[in-house]
Amino acid sequence: MLVLAVETSTDRSSVALVDENGVVAEASLGVPRRHGEFVAPAIAFCLDQAGLTPDDVSGVAVGLGPGLYTGLRVGIATAQSFAMARNLPMVGMSGLDVLAFQARHTRRLICATLDARRGQLFWALYRCAPGGVQRLSDLRVGRPDELTAELDSVGEHCLVLGDGGLRHRGALEGAVDVDVAEGGRATPDAGDLGALAVPRFIREETERPGTMKPIYLRQVDAAIGWQERGRMQAGQG
Amino acid sequence: MTVSNALTLHTADASSTQALAEAIAAVFLPGDVVALSGELGAGKTCFVQGAARGLDIGVPVTSPTFVLVRQYRGRLPIVHADVYRLNRMQDVFDLGDEVFAPDVVTFVEWGDAIASVLPADRLDVEIVHAEDLTAETQPVDDGSVPPAPRTVVLRTHGSWGERHQELATLCAPWREG
Repeated sequence: MLVLAVETSTDRSSVALVDENGVVAEASLGVPRRHGEFVAPAIAFCLDQAGLTPDDVSGVAVGLGPGLYTGLRVGIATAQSFAMARNLPMVGMSGLDVLAFQARHTRRLICATLDARRGQLFWALYRCAPGGVQRLSDLRVGRPDELTAELDSVGEHCLVLGDGGLRHRGALEGAVDVDVAEGGRATPDAGDLGALAVPRFIREETERPGTMKPIYLRQVDAAIGWQERGRMQAGQG
Repeated sequence: MTVSNALTLHTADASSTQALAEAIAAVFLPGDVVALSGELGAGKTCFVQGAARGLDIGVPVTSPTFVLVRQYRGRLPIVHADVYRLNRMQDVFDLGDEVFAPDVVTFVEWGDAIASVLPADRLDVEIVHAEDLTAETQPVDDGSVPPAPRTVVLRTHGSWGERHQELATLCAPWREG
């Protein structure tokens, strides 16, 4: 069992080859918006360094988001292409689930967050469970005050992970009883994604490449009001 | 919207608008969002050209209307987007990950049309013709390009409020009276 994992939902892109014993090879790039240039050569680099070929890969795992639109499309399309061409099964996972998995040894409530830009963050709540963590809520997007309102309603001390919490640390710590984790990874990582996905491939909880869909969360179903805007301008004369 | 977040400025011509934008560029930080509004020909791209000069962008800045987004490297990288050809709010997110990125200054032309998806922390720049265009145009004797005075209204939102005073000082030469 060798899993190729691709995670491109944040400014840090990463790919990894993972088997039952852990990460075999991994490459990551922290340069923003280089997903398109990085992913395919990085896969070739990891295979080459590990002395493996595409024939050795038996499944493809991909991060589905939420996160950067272009990054997600690059990662998912690349992973799908690899899997489709070689007729391999796939596993898709949220980057928030991957982040939360890091804290599987704490008994505290876990809140995984990612910076959603424009003053917002993505988040989900988790609790440790046998074999990892269990997600308690839907994946959400909102302002820091919307997150603190949710945490306040839970009313429990919480460990906040990820770059969303780090970016909005002041707003979170000022409002509710939380610890914002400084250590660990602040963005999801292909090595962790692969390690989480390996058991799913073994249990054959897999999907076909065509079913992989990015998690955008932010679907704005509204037209830009050009006509309305024109009328307003005319009204102001 | 309160009156206190607005600075009303006056520019005599395109080069004056550019000089104003160049002066304002001194306060730009990575992650800033500047939303420009004003009718066709008001001078939105002209303003971005001046700001680009202030950010030491060495190449000409041209309208992004047809390519939607242009990027430039300077003291700070600039992302120059135009939403005029977009129809849906979702299209704004589809422009690409560089728009509203934390390491660049994003300029959005026609920003007022997509206000609901703009960040709360931003600078709005509204450019309007200072004179009534329906009035009779003054003939220019020497055949030179007639001056095109504009009123430029800057509005600070959210955390941009902290830079309001600094902006007011920088913009003093273009203030009223």
